Amino acid sequence: MRLYSIAVYLFLYIPIGIIVLFSFNAGRHASELKGLSVKWYGKALDNPFVIDALFTSLTIAFCAATLASIMGTSAALALQRIKGPLKAIFDGMIYISIMIPGIVIGIATLVALVSVFDVLNPIIADVWLGDKAPKLELGMISVIAAHTLFTMSLVIVIVRARIAGMDRALIEASTDLYASPWATFRQVTLPQLAPAILAGFLLSFTFSFDDFIISFFVAGPNTTLPIYVFSSIRRGITPEVNAIGAMVMGASLLLLIVAQLLLRRDHRR
Amino acid sequence: MSKSYKDDLPITAKKFMEEFRRYQNGSVSRRHFLGVTGLGTAMAVLGGAVPGALSSRKAHAAGDLGDRLVFSTWPNYFDPANIEKFTKDTGVAIQINTFGSNEEMLAKLQAGATGWDVFVPTNYTFETYVGEDLIQPLDLSRLPNHDPNSQEAIFAGPATVNGKIYGVLKNWGHTGISYNTDKLSKAPTSWKDFFDITMGEGSGHTIVHDYQLTTIGAALCAHGFSFNSNDPAELAQAEKTLIDAKPHLFAISSDIQPSMRSGDAWMTIAWNGDALQLNKDMPEIAYTLGTDGGEIWSDFYAIPKEAPHLNAAYAFIDFMLDPQVQVGEFNVHGYAIGDARVDALLPSDVSENPILFPAKELMSGLEFGAASTLTNPDRAELLARFKSA
Amino acid sequence: MATEASKGRWLTAGLLAPSSIWFLIMLVMPLVVVAIFSFGERAPAGGYTASFTFEQYANLPARLKAFQNTLTLAPLGTVLTLLVAYPLAYYLAVKAPSRWKLALLVLVIVPFWTSLLIRTYAWIFILGGRGIPTLLEFIGIEGVRLINTPTAVVIGIVYIYLPLMVFPIFVSLEKLDKRLLEASNDLGGSPFRTFLQITLPLSIPGMATGCMLVFILLMGEFLIPAILGGGKVFFIGNALVDLFLQSRNWPFGAAVATTLVIIMLVIVSIYMRLMMRVSAHREDVSIM
Repeated sequence: MRLYSIAVYLFLYIPIGIIVLFSFNAGRHASELKGLSVKWYGKALDNPFVIDALFTSLTIAFCAATLASIMGTSAALALQRIKGPLKAIFDGMIYISIMIPGIVIGIATLVALVSVFDVLNPIIADVWLGDKAPKLELGMISVIAAHTLFTMSLVIVIVRARIAGMDRALIEASTDLYASPWATFRQVTLPQLAPAILAGFLLSFTFSFDDFIISFFVAGPNTTLPIYVFSSIRRGITPEVNAIGAMVMGASLLLLIVAQLLLRRDHRR
Repeated sequence: MSKSYKDDLPITAKKFMEEFRRYQNGSVSRRHFLGVTGLGTAMAVLGGAVPGALSSRKAHAAGDLGDRLVFSTWPNYFDPANIEKFTKDTGVAIQINTFGSNEEMLAKLQAGATGWDVFVPTNYTFETYVGEDLIQPLDLSRLPNHDPNSQEAIFAGPATVNGKIYGVLKNWGHTGISYNTDKLSKAPTSWKDFFDITMGEGSGHTIVHDYQLTTIGAALCAHGFSFNSNDPAELAQAEKTLIDAKPHLFAISSDIQPSMRSGDAWMTIAWNGDALQLNKDMPEIAYTLGTDGGEIWSDFYAIPKEAPHLNAAYAFIDFMLDPQVQVGEFNVHGYAIGDARVDALLPSDVSENPILFPAKELMSGLEFGAASTLTNPDRAELLARFKSA
Repeated sequence: MATEASKGRWLTAGLLAPSSIWFLIMLVMPLVVVAIFSFGERAPAGGYTASFTFEQYANLPARLKAFQNTLTLAPLGTVLTLLVAYPLAYYLAVKAPSRWKLALLVLVIVPFWTSLLIRTYAWIFILGGRGIPTLLEFIGIEGVRLINTPTAVVIGIVYIYLPLMVFPIFVSLEKLDKRLLEASNDLGGSPFRTFLQITLPLSIPGMATGCMLVFILLMGEFLIPAILGGGKVFFIGNALVDLFLQSRNWPFGAAVATTLVIIMLVIVSIYMRLMMRVSAHREDVSIM
């Protein structure tokens, strides 16, 4: 059993080790190791397109995760107050948006937005009084909107599970003590939900940051980090891709450790 | 430079002049200069108030070039050193996207804003791009390095549609077979051989392009049909050949070099430049045209309709048309330039290289791709069926 | 009192409004547009022209192979991932020294937090001619080809989705009352019987969750076959990308997408019903 587990860990980490090893490759071709150097890290960090792509990805992930956390939490809270067909419709929506493959979301969003823009743009141009009418186009906003659909449903599911396991006596006690509903929410409900919301936020952020297929269809002229990496892989691989990968991995590992430490401190308190 | 805003610069007048001199000498890049002097911001604020005052030393074009350019091209089709040089000279960073087929480029442009500034379409696509209003006519006065008289008209011609010029010649070449002589006992000489070897001793080690024109074209030639055929009965025979060959293929991909270099693949459909690059590093990889036909083509630099960095696009194309730069390009990608000024700069043995200039009788059987193949739905479906089979 | 109730209703409506708008614009509208497009025709140069025809659906058999591939490799990949993941999850939950448990668990999750694309790409090196095939040659096995085969794609799938499977199984095994295992041992149950009769049934919810997550992701998979399949291993996801980004046949792409959604709805609904029945059945047993 232990041996098996060690084997699985090797299986998980050998590819990652290879990426990191080759990121220190001094040669131009990613497939041959020719001495060690850190020059590809410098090249990656010096490349404005890598930095642009990184910022685009971070912005999209942050916005999508924030929107998803806010809208998902409020929807989860509201859903426990309603019953009947409305609730069934909502459950259906959540279930469908989690179940539909990302590729279908990407395509459907592309097709729908392009069609809607084709209709709206001439109208905007007609009624616009200024010099140059704004034009609706695919871009970061469409990616954020598409990511938020899935991540919002994720947050709803996570927060609802937490609500179900929540200590209702506390809320009742708070109401009995004549606390206003808002005070009850802020002082009793929210702290209890916080871990779930945080988990939802982190999951949403990861999903959005790592998503390739939805962005590939709806990002318009914008390049996210996964799109950049995908096109680098296609144009003949240089160790720059490995360096980017190693840095992203390092950063997420660091975040994970920091989050862990924070949570632990919270626990002790 | 008027005094009014110079006072606002976050730099003293003396320091500014020093930096300006260093910049003029070429010891610092334009981007560094603009950054240090704060002129970048000042110019952004002033907009076009000082047209051309600080554009690149070589006066590539009027107006500010910006700091970004998106260039969409094919794999292994540029010299990274030239790209770096352009960035160093002008401060314009270049993002390169590569595509394996003209269809893919067209699809990206059709699906709305791509953000591309310069792209590389092939001869047979211009009619469609113009018809779909996706491309803009070029202002040749902004390309001083372009000289129509030094170019071969047969290759440069297809970019002219309805009397307007939409592209300037980048390279021309042909599509043949690259094969590893160490691995194959018998050299292929035709597309028929190509498919026979694929299903015989080369099984598991052959690549065909992920591209309807060349892959379907190769199968058509193997049956003795035209490379451009859209005839349903002929396409059906080509499809059968491709689907029979599929279990024997190593990959369906337009980026053939990594697998040929690693020895995973032994034979592939190849553009002659890829063949030359491979042959240069690994002499055992030979190239031949098919005796049963094939493609001759020319590629162009062109600007999409809604290019966001138009000034940089013109500056970049003009830079790439410089004969010296073209020599560098040729040395890396190995495709003929079709420009007399460049040919004069190349070593004399280049004109005897059979990978570049194959025997006349082989060349005479080649065809230019036809515009109809780009939009023909049957061909698109055929390739898709082949890939999903 | 009436105002209190209506205030509550307004609050509920307000809380639900943003997500409703989102579902409407980003889910319902796109799906409706795709459904409409699937009855249209391809424009001459590609794209879409309005029409009402069943031609696209009639043409679906042209992608039969992609559907077959997906519908065999997705379940196969799910089952293999489960088989690789289960012993590890079991070890982590039951056998691992508690001191190390958290660290070991984090080690499983870390890859999940790092770029899927780059992790897949690493396998090009490992499975390519200079990777495992060269190693095999040293021990005398020649002519093995891995990269650009369905095997390579399946290896990639198991690798990528392993953390997603381990975690839910771990969670359900973790909840398992260890005294049950001890009791079973004390009563003379063989370890194997204990596992079969106690551990395995209790971990069914975790397995169900993990399998569903992996299966859903696999049904829309594009990247792993695109990177490790050399253009030869074709999932529905790859067919869809090609339809939109190569042949530019939007209506047919829409028809394929609609069909995929319907297939998923049917499979997942049946699966959920089945799982509910299993867990209901188990509760009956435990009551007795």
